[in-house]
Order: sequence, then structure tokens, then C-alpha cells
Amino acid sequence: MNKFLVFLEQREGIVKQSSLSAWNRVQELAALNGNPVVSGILAGPVDIGQLDGAMAGDGVIYHADEDGLGVYNQERYTRVVAETFQREACTALFFADTAMTRDMAPRLAVRIEASLLSGSITCDSDAGGVSRRVYSGSFLASFVPTRQARIYILSSSAPVQPVPDGGSIKFLDVEPRQCTVEDIFPVVRHIIMREGPPDVAEARIIVAGGRGMGGAEGFALLEQLASLLGGAVGASRTAVDAGWRPHAEQIGQTGKTVAPALYFACGISGAVQHLAGIGSAGVVVAINSDRDAPIFDVADYGLVGDVHIVLPKLIDLLKEFLKKQ
Amino acid sequence: MNIAVCVCSVPDTASVVGYLDGAIDYSRVNVVMNPYDEYALEEAVRFKERVEGTIVTVFSFAPDSEKEVLRKALAMGADRAVQVRCSEEGLRPCDPFLTALGLSRAISGMYGALLPDLVFCGKQSTDFQSAQVPSMLAELLGMASVLGITSLHTSGDVIRVEREIEGGIETVDVTFPVVLSAEKGLNEPRNTSIRAVMDARKKTVDLLEVSLHEEPCVVVSGIKPLERKKICCFVPDEQELLGILNHKCNLLS
Ligand SMILES: Cc1cc2nc3c(=O)[nH]c(=O)nc-3n(C[C@H](O)[C@H](O)[C@H](O)COP(=O)(O)OP(=O)(O)OC[C@H]3O[C@@H](n4cnc5c(N)ncnc54)[C@H](O)[C@@H]3O)c2cc1C
Ligand SMILES: Nc1ncnc2c1ncn2[C@@H]1O[C@H](COP(=O)(O)O)[C@@H](O)[C@H]1O
Repeated sequence: MNKFLVFLEQREGIVKQSSLSAWNRVQELAALNGNPVVSGILAGPVDIGQLDGAMAGDGVIYHADEDGLGVYNQERYTRVVAETFQREACTALFFADTAMTRDMAPRLAVRIEASLLSGSITCDSDAGGVSRRVYSGSFLASFVPTRQARIYILSSSAPVQPVPDGGSIKFLDVEPRQCTVEDIFPVVRHIIMREGPPDVAEARIIVAGGRGMGGAEGFALLEQLASLLGGAVGASRTAVDAGWRPHAEQIGQTGKTVAPALYFACGISGAVQHLAGIGSAGVVVAINSDRDAPIFDVADYGLVGDVHIVLPKLIDLLKEFLKKQ
Repeated sequence: MNIAVCVCSVPDTASVVGYLDGAIDYSRVNVVMNPYDEYALEEAVRFKERVEGTIVTVFSFAPDSEKEVLRKALAMGADRAVQVRCSEEGLRPCDPFLTALGLSRAISGMYGALLPDLVFCGKQSTDFQSAQVPSMLAELLGMASVLGITSLHTSGDVIRVEREIEGGIETVDVTFPVVLSAEKGLNEPRNTSIRAVMDARKKTVDLLEVSLHEEPCVVVSGIKPLERKKICCFVPDEQELLGILNHKCNLLS
């Protein structure tokens, strides 16, 4: 009998949206795979009231509610998850794709002797394989596990589906074994969160700019557009290297891989290294003065024009539109 | 102080990875050092320049055809270069777990019971982008790790590093020994002079065979080129664009 475990990530007491969508997707997956038991593991103090209505299906959430787990700690977290996986005799462990996941999942794979797969699950096979883009997004590779135990890192994609009613989620406190002081290096000293808009890696809408924005000032237009849409600003490497935007916003092969529902590419030519980061984006809109720019080859909608003329118009129209709503 | 740096070769992003009879065709591919590994190696060499008596050893689990990357590492300032090969077949495994296992055996073989003080890796390889080898290696060696660091400062026995997380920056303190993986922004890798390249030609690349009987944890069952070409719908103006996003795509709610 299969038993699925989903890691629910919290930062500062808030369970991540990406974890909740991973949970909901695993519920869908379970329904397609003979309804295995789905449970969750949550580490750190959180107010569980926030999860009301956000999680589909039935299941138990093992909650290691302890102050020492409030902030991510590699060894403590790895142990809590490994212990739960083994105690509950799970067969598969699921993560949303985040910085914390990328830190923990490979360690867990070694510790619990699991095959680690990242990408999108290919539902058509029982083998439990995934597919993922490789070589700067120019190929799609399929991977299959060879071990009984599996860990999946689900690539973020598509907006969260509304949750059907009727599920029931139970919480169960678990007490992880303690770690000694030597065990718990590295120590996170502090975390400085940026204020305001969502991070590019998580945003549902991304408004990205490149060299065509002409300079740091040009990005003010993109910030306006992003804030009207509730999205995040992204940038090409050229814009980052020029010092117009921070590296955290770079999208592409040497930047972030993103999967927003809507991606605006403004003044971006569409180099393969940039496209490597947006292969899973939903609708791609390109605004470029050059009708032959390669970005139009991957765009769903294109507008040929100067960003300094197009964007202010678009912003004004959008403001009007939002006012009427 | 002992520093190990793990580097791998990847196709140069400018070269075209081909597809022939259902398989990847590397014939037109030019391989280079994985860009993230350049940051890792640069940081190791800077360490050596600050701390006297530091020895930087570079490891690459690579077939003979990818040995060039080790020469480049020597030219960038590494003291020793080790080509890791598995005694069974000499190929580079595709599975991150086997890669990490081979590297951990090579590192244990080289340093004995004493772990290196620092192991630097790149954040990820740019070909398969698994970003799994560094943490697996750390777990196998029993070391702590911090991934994707963008800055590093040492004071006494504590290394303070920063890394990006979603929506913020995390500052982490670690002690030796530790595995660190390098993100873009950590430093600006140096250019190698012709002189350094010539000197590196004269140095030896050591060969270390490791035995690797384990099965891979993950296998590639297929690979196919992605057809990128979509039919772009050009819209005449902003009004129409907004209308499409609202009605057709339902994206403005
Ligand atoms: C190893 C390696 C890794 C890389 N990694 C990345 C990566 O992660 N991310 C990334 O983005 N790049 C990456 N690159 C760089 C990539 O190859 C391109 O150089 C880069 O993406 C180009 O950025 P751009 O589109 O902003 O600039 P350009 O290619 O210069 O394009 C500018 C575009 O703006 C248009 N334009 C100009 N003025 C206007 C205007 N007024 N209005 C409208 N349009 C205008 C032009 O027509 C042009 O299409 C990498 C390169 C290498 C070698
Ligand atoms: N064959 C290899 N030999 C040495 N180091 C490697 C090898 N493969 C991966 N690495 C290291 O692990 C990092 C991440 O690779 P990956 O997990 O494949 O994305 C790379 O940047 C290298 O530092």
C-alpha cells in the first residue's frame, strides 16, 4: 500500500502557498493512483487556523510544534522529516520547489535511501517518473526511479486550483528526537525579508525587463505594472549585469526558473539562456520594438513597439479597468 | 587548511546540443567548466591567497574526454587536480547520487579520516540542473552544508555566508568543516593568463579510481527535443492586449 507524505513549509509561522498547492496536487495524484493515504509533516510553531479551507482531501498532518524548529535548521528538519517518513512507513515524499527543499531533499534521499526526482510527474506511467527540461530548456528528459522509496520535488506551475469542500484534515503533535549542539550547525543568524511584492520565484504574474528598458529608471514602469497586477518584477541577465536590478530578480539559466501564469517580457530579446528560465510559464506576452526578436517565437501574444510608449498606455488602461471592477 | 573543489564540464551555452536518432548528439558541442564551478574555484583560490598553507585540490568525476576542465582549474590557481574515474567503466555517471558517492569516496581516499576543511561546489550544473550533488556529498561525508551562497566572510573559526531564499536573504554562520555551493554574485572569476595556461599544461593531473558497484537511484528513460515554436498572435494595441488577458486568459481577476 502506498503512503504519501507532503512536507509543508512554513516561514515565520506562515505555511507557504507553494506547499499548499503541492498538497492539493498530491491529493489529485492520489485519486489517480488508487487512493493511497496522504499525510503531511509540518515543522515549527504555526497557527493551524490559517489552513482552514486551504487544503483539499483527507489526511493527518504531523506537527512538530517546537520553538527550536521555528527557523529552518538543516539537521533538525532533516531528522524530523526522516523520522516521520520511516515511522509512518511512507513510500513517497513530496516537496514544493523552494530553497529549503533544495537544501533538505538531497540529504533525505541519501538518508532514507530514496530516489530523488524533480520535475513534473508524468501521470500516464505507473513507474512514478517525472519529466524535466534539460540543456537550457531545449530538451525534455524523462526520469524514472529505481528505488522503492521516492522523493519528489514538484516544479511550481499553474495557479492553485480552488479547493473542493468536504475534506477533513486532522493534526497530530509529534515530538522529534533532540539534536545535540554539534549536530545543529549551520546556524541561521538572521533573515532579512524584502518588503512588498512577491518574489519572482513565487509570483503568479511576472513583469520582466531587459536591455530594451534602457536603464534602471525604465524599470519604474515595470514596477508600476507589477504592483497593479499584484505581480513581481523580473530581469534579464543584461539588466542585472548593468546594475539596473538585483541578481535575485534574474530569470534564466544562471538565474531563477519561474512558472508564473502570466509572463511579460519587455525589451527582452529572448536568448536561449533567458528562455531556459521560463519554459513552464503559462501565457507569455512579449513587447519589443523588433518584430523579428526571437522572444516572439515563444510568445503567445506579441506587441511590436517601444516599451516607453506601450507600457505607459498599458498602465493607464489597466488603472481604468481596475477602477471599474 | 585543505580545500576540495568539485568541478564538472558542461556544454558551452553557445554551442548547439544536437539530436540524432533518438539520442543527444554532442558532436558539435564544446565543453567548458560549469559556470557555477568557476565561482566555487575562484572563492577557494581567494581563500588560499588569504590563508597561508592552504592547499586547493580540484576533483572532477569525468571521462578522459573531459579532462580539460582540470587543466583550466590548475590555470586558475588550484594546487592539485584529480580526475575521478570509476574502475568499472570510466564514464561519468548521470545519476547525482552516484556522482556524489564517487566524489565522496575520492575525497575520503585523498584525505583519509580527516575531512577537508572546506568543500566548494557550484550551485548546479547547467546541463541537467539537478542541484543535488553538493548536499548529497555533504550528507555522505557527514558534513554540514550551505547552498547557493552569494557572499562569504571568515572571522576566526566562524564562516558567515549569505544566501538567497524566496523573498529575502539568509545570513548563516557555519564552522569548519562545511560544504558550500556557489551562486552567481559570490565573486568575479579571474581570467587566466596565457602564461598560467601554459604552466598548467606542464602540471600533472592525478587519476583516482573509485569502485562504484551501486545501482543508480534515478535513470533517464528518454529525452526528446522541445519544439519551441508557438504561433505568436500579434495584437495591434494595448487595449486589445488587455482585452485578451482579461477575457481569453482570465488573468486579471
Ligand atoms: C553562461 C551564460 C549564462 C547566461 N544566463 C542568462 C540568464 O540566466 N538570464 C538571461 O536573461 N540571460 C543570460 N545570459 C545572457 C543571454 O545570452 C543574453 O545576453 C541576455 O539574455 C540578453 O538580455 P536582453 O534580452 O535584456 O538584451 P538584448 O539581447 O540586448 O535584447 C534587448 C531587446 O530589447 C529590444 N529593445 C531595445 N529597445 C527597445 C525599446 N525601446 N522598446 C522595446 N524593445 C526594445 C531589442 O529589440 C532587443 O530584442 C547568459 C549568457 C551566458 C553565456
Ligand atoms: N561529475 C562531477 N565531478 C565533480 N563535481 C561535480 C560533478 N557533477 C556535479 N558536480 C558538482 O556538483 C555541483 C552541482 O551539480 P548538479 O547537482 O549536477 O547540478 C556542480 O556545480 C559541481 O560542483
